[in-house]
Amino acid sequence: MRIDAGAHSDVGRVRQNNEDAYRIEPALDLYVLSDGVGGEEQGEVASALAVETIVRHCLEAENNHATPLFVEPRPDISERTNRLASAVTLANRKIFDSASSHPDRNRMGATIVAAWMQGQRLSLVHVGDSRAYLLRAGSLEQLTADHSLVAEQVRRGVLTPQEAETSQLQSVLIRALGTAEQVEVDADEHVLLDNDTLLLCSDGLTRMVTDPEIASTLLTVEPAQAAADRLVDLANDYGGDDNVTAIVVRALPGSGGILQRLRRWTKHTDKSS
Amino acid sequence: MDEAYGQELLKMARLLLKFESAVLKEIPLGTRPVTIGRAPDNEIAIDNLAVSNYHARVYAEAGKLVIEDLSSLNGTFVNDLRVERAVLRDGDTIQVGKHSIQLDAGHDAALPVNGWRKAPAPKVDETMVLDTHERREMLRQAAAAGERSQLSPARLRVPTLSVLSGRTDQAEYMLSGKLTVIGRSGMATVRLQGWFAPRVAAQINRREDGYYLGLGDRIPKVNGQTIAGATRLRDGDVIEIGRVRLHFAYRD
Repeated sequence: MRIDAGAHSDVGRVRQNNEDAYRIEPALDLYVLSDGVGGEEQGEVASALAVETIVRHCLEAENNHATPLFVEPRPDISERTNRLASAVTLANRKIFDSASSHPDRNRMGATIVAAWMQGQRLSLVHVGDSRAYLLRAGSLEQLTADHSLVAEQVRRGVLTPQEAETSQLQSVLIRALGTAEQVEVDADEHVLLDNDTLLLCSDGLTRMVTDPEIASTLLTVEPAQAAADRLVDLANDYGGDDNVTAIVVRALPGSGGILQRLRRWTKHTDKSS
Repeated sequence: MDEAYGQELLKMARLLLKFESAVLKEIPLGTRPVTIGRAPDNEIAIDNLAVSNYHARVYAEAGKLVIEDLSSLNGTFVNDLRVERAVLRDGDTIQVGKHSIQLDAGHDAALPVNGWRKAPAPKVDETMVLDTHERREMLRQAAAAGERSQLSPARLRVPTLSVLSGRTDQAEYMLSGKLTVIGRSGMATVRLQGWFAPRVAAQINRREDGYYLGLGDRIPKVNGQTIAGATRLRDGDVIEIGRVRLHFAYRD
């Protein structure tokens, strides 16, 4: 499996600051996206701290397996997924501590969605309303469940999905990083298949662009970078009410099959001879 | 108040599950007790670490509504007072973790359920997070307690896959993880035997509301029907991938 990844983040058409932050860490096959919460520049501080903490914790763990875990390991998910959950837990603590020690930062927080691949195996964690989608065999599926008040109301049957879209309470989160000393992290795992596309995005995309439009963009614009650019453009075309960030990761066939391995091996021996 | 009148009152009464001021669910009260807890088989299931698996229950006794704490770790509060057992009155608020449950005796058309949505809510521009300072400490304790209570034997049924036909490494599997892979691959739980078996034939993902069968390198069938995408498995479903047939069932 070969990976083609691209990302784009934009302030949008209304806001003054871009409080979204993201990172693609090719050495780890790690993708992290965070949307900051809080006025002034607090949101930016929180999302940057979240992304930085998670990448560093994962890098450290890769190099040193004795790196402590900041969560009780769960038996129903892999070591890798537990590590990613640990990274998010640590990020929560850092934002919370930073907010507690700076009186001007006491309302800051951040969402997080992070994907870490190990071969075909995908570890996925999230807190808040930043989402992960999977495009497989032509259909788009949302892999994460938003920790927002309206999403909770839809799950409990109080609102219909249509009512949720027009609710004035869309911006109310019921879980975020940095707002409490402890955070519950949603963790999940999937097997990626050839030609799958993974999308991580902030709510600035999903509030402006519908799922079918996201699907058709991912289906028609092939290079990952171009697809991420196009999604952000679409959100801005529709008004760009919020900061918007998209990370597109495509799993392309290659390197896995016997034929490819043979081909690479022949190339390698050609070079060395 | 006599028994019959009490029963009559119960028919009209309902519990409103709230998070802050928003109503999440409306639970009509009948003659059966209503249980509150984190386990999914409660009438009022609250997915939060601050809530014990079986936290409290509300039932009718001698024409009155009674709430009883089921030895929960973080306690049950009625109008901010911790209670073991208490009689509920119209408008009483039960606090369970971050959620509250309000008793509405249903005398008139006060309808608090949808009222808050019709009122001109302030336009929220900035994202905000619902959390209050005094609840942080409670959450922290709850999280620690939650980890302990997860070790207690849950009354949940175990999902299993039994092999009806085809070559696999075991005859039966318990689905204990978030992800179960079926295939020849080293990461597969249900290991298919034979050279031509697909590496990842299919995958099963556990979600909040059950187990979902998803595509692998093959498109599986459920009860003879080819699936189009991730499909929720029901108790007793037969999964077919090539020559392998698996029976999905919940066991005690």
